Amino acid sequence: MLYFLRRRSLTSLLPLLFVLVGVFVLARLTGDPTSLYLPESATAEQRRAFAASHGFDDPVWKQLLHYLQGIPHLDFGTSLRTGQTAASMALRAFPNTLQLAFATMLISVVVAVVLGSWAAYRPNSLADRISSLLSMTAGSVPDFWFAIMGVWIFAVILGVLPTSGTDNGLLSWVLPVVTLCVRPIGVLTQVVRGAMVSALSAPYVRLARSKGATDVRLVTHHALRNAAAPALTVAGDLAVGLINGAVVVETIFGWPGIGKLMIDSILQRDFAVLQACVLLTALSIFVLNILIDLGYALLDARVRETVKA
Amino acid sequence: MSAAPNLESARNRPRSVAFGLLAVGLALTGSACGVSSSSTSSDFGDTVRIVLPEEPPSLEPCDSSNTGDGVVERSNITEPLTELDLATGELHPLLATEWKKTTPTTYTYTLRSGVKFSDGSAFDAEDAAFSIDRTVNNTELGCFVAGYVFGDEKVQVKAVDATTLTVSTAEPDPILPLRLSFVEMVPSEMSTTEKVREPIGTGPYEIKKWDAGQKLTLAANPKYWGDQPAYKTATYVWRSEGSVRAAMVKEGEADLATQIGPDDGAGDLEVQFPDDQTAALRIQGYIPPLNDMRVRQAINYAIDREGLVKSLFNSDTTIAEQLIPEGITGFNDSLKPWPTDVAKAKQLIAEAKADGVPTSTPIRLVGRSAQFPKIEEIIQVIQKELTEIGLNVKIEMVDTKGSTELQQRPFPKNPGPYLLMIQHGNQAGDAAFSVDQYMLSNGFQSAFGTPELDAMIKSAEKQEGDARQAAFEKVFAYEPTHVGQFAYIAHMTGMMAIASGVDYKPNVNTENEMHLAEMTPKK
Repeated sequence: MLYFLRRRSLTSLLPLLFVLVGVFVLARLTGDPTSLYLPESATAEQRRAFAASHGFDDPVWKQLLHYLQGIPHLDFGTSLRTGQTAASMALRAFPNTLQLAFATMLISVVVAVVLGSWAAYRPNSLADRISSLLSMTAGSVPDFWFAIMGVWIFAVILGVLPTSGTDNGLLSWVLPVVTLCVRPIGVLTQVVRGAMVSALSAPYVRLARSKGATDVRLVTHHALRNAAAPALTVAGDLAVGLINGAVVVETIFGWPGIGKLMIDSILQRDFAVLQACVLLTALSIFVLNILIDLGYALLDARVRETVKA
Repeated sequence: MSAAPNLESARNRPRSVAFGLLAVGLALTGSACGVSSSSTSSDFGDTVRIVLPEEPPSLEPCDSSNTGDGVVERSNITEPLTELDLATGELHPLLATEWKKTTPTTYTYTLRSGVKFSDGSAFDAEDAAFSIDRTVNNTELGCFVAGYVFGDEKVQVKAVDATTLTVSTAEPDPILPLRLSFVEMVPSEMSTTEKVREPIGTGPYEIKKWDAGQKLTLAANPKYWGDQPAYKTATYVWRSEGSVRAAMVKEGEADLATQIGPDDGAGDLEVQFPDDQTAALRIQGYIPPLNDMRVRQAINYAIDREGLVKSLFNSDTTIAEQLIPEGITGFNDSLKPWPTDVAKAKQLIAEAKADGVPTSTPIRLVGRSAQFPKIEEIIQVIQKELTEIGLNVKIEMVDTKGSTELQQRPFPKNPGPYLLMIQHGNQAGDAAFSVDQYMLSNGFQSAFGTPELDAMIKSAEKQEGDARQAAFEKVFAYEPTHVGQFAYIAHMTGMMAIASGVDYKPNVNTENEMHLAEMTPKK
């Protein structure tokens, strides 16, 4: 196991470095932030002093080196916009996104497994067709449309949910989580359905049926476990997307998460905050990928042996 | 036999993991809910709740000319010596009770006595002198008020006694009191090397708590020198989507929502008010084919302003014929909007083409995303109109930084010909603040100009009273026919949503500074 983790860490290091360097260089290609942060009357001397105080006058390779040296100490610099440390801003926003992503994936997986299994168990039935139509619609309609419609229907017309914000306890979670759930449920339901259709027609399921296993036991104990691996792969990808920042939903619902912070940082050329956010999300995705690999091992004995080896 | 328990354990492992994940999830969710503070309607009686498009970047007083800061800070947390009434153009006493020109280059202010900062310390002339010096003369901070209001001008300030202050300039400055009305007063202990995010001031409110990214709460300042405001607390939250802001007021989650559009659905709660903003296309007139006056005139003839204003702007918007709206010193009320004449526009383009002007060169039509409601549609209509007269126009929507690079000097090298949608607000009440930036040959946001226009502007800026008004009127009459840097589109109006329980009348200055003390619960 330790060998597996070590190997996985080493193989992830290169892409992580690639992402960090890529974002660092691309961010600087978008232009010098001086004109956003200094008034028009600023003299050339003031502009030079601003650039020097934030290290923008150094060559890009030197700025990169300085950034990489700060990472072990969680020193990403100071936000140009707020004057706060970039690390504190990113660490404050990240748990909000993480909670949202976790709740979303938990609900999505449960709903998708139930819907997908049900549709696969009765293929081509009316229930299957309705499930397919709903999941394909959910998978193809954009987040922002669901979000705005949700606000108008449930907050303005029905008045049962708050429009946005985090001040109303559990009720505040409903619209953002439901909006975020729509796409994962749509995609995952189709994946679970496809995998379950294959699994339910496999010889071991036919054997179990012939031995008198009940329908529920067939689905839950035999087919579902073997159908879980592809669903786990897709769920992992979807979770990565959420951790990367549910930008649209966070923006519309005023959810103070990492996606909104990253967008604001890009628009304001607040490089330090952007880099802190990117590193944090990259590390989280790295951890998530390891958890997914371990999930495979739990589900599949062949993978488990590889991990043990 | 010993293998059986292990097998059972392995079988149950996914279930255990699932339960574990569920438990962690609920714990996370629970902790999040625990952090949130549940509000009940009874909390709101003494609180006015405002929803803005974005969080103030900071509340540094010397940057309060930035709308995002000023709308929260000015005359709420901090106050200037005098306050400009944009509707009349007059200055009213605030922390200064009177002021007068005592020499051609010096103004003397008498300060209000008995004023205290919210931390209990007394406000006196030393603080006022410090505040002006920190804002205007400090080269380390890089204050936006200095850039927007004072330009290169420096001042000498002196505290004569506790309530008397003199402010002098090297050359006579007829609008120095107007410029000084932008300087917010702060305690003399404030840093002169670093900007301050949460300042102390003399205003009717003080900062109670700022949950960065979530909410800003102000509380009434018990040491305020004037009458206590009607609301004991004010909260600000921010939502970037106009329809969500409007929905929050409709739903009773907020009392006021700023910068909403006609399609955001505020319904009966919508309130329109005069604004100081003018929308215009700035023509980068030193780059072919835009360096030809006939092409610039053709662009003006091609735009159907009436159609745009009627269909895509707020209903009270008017067609613009100059860069500033009515009420600003220098506004020329005799000017008429540029007429729409497509045939004339086509003829001018044909003439230019016949003379070798490269009229088929691609021209960038640049707008800033979310600059104002329906900007995308407005840009699309203009592109269609300019294409119809024979120009090759490509739409380009950019973010704030991209727009800033094209709008301010130094302009990018070899950007190609471009038309830039600008939205200019003159919150200072005098044409000098507009023409200096947008019409001088080397103005910070001016693409080009002429020596003749420069001379007219410089001359107008030295005038006072009626002579100043007349001189700027001539500037605005001269520019379209002799320079043609702009295609003016609309004098805009603002729109906000106000809950039925709140009494507040927004005015021309509301989007720059929204005075909480003017809000009262409706009886």
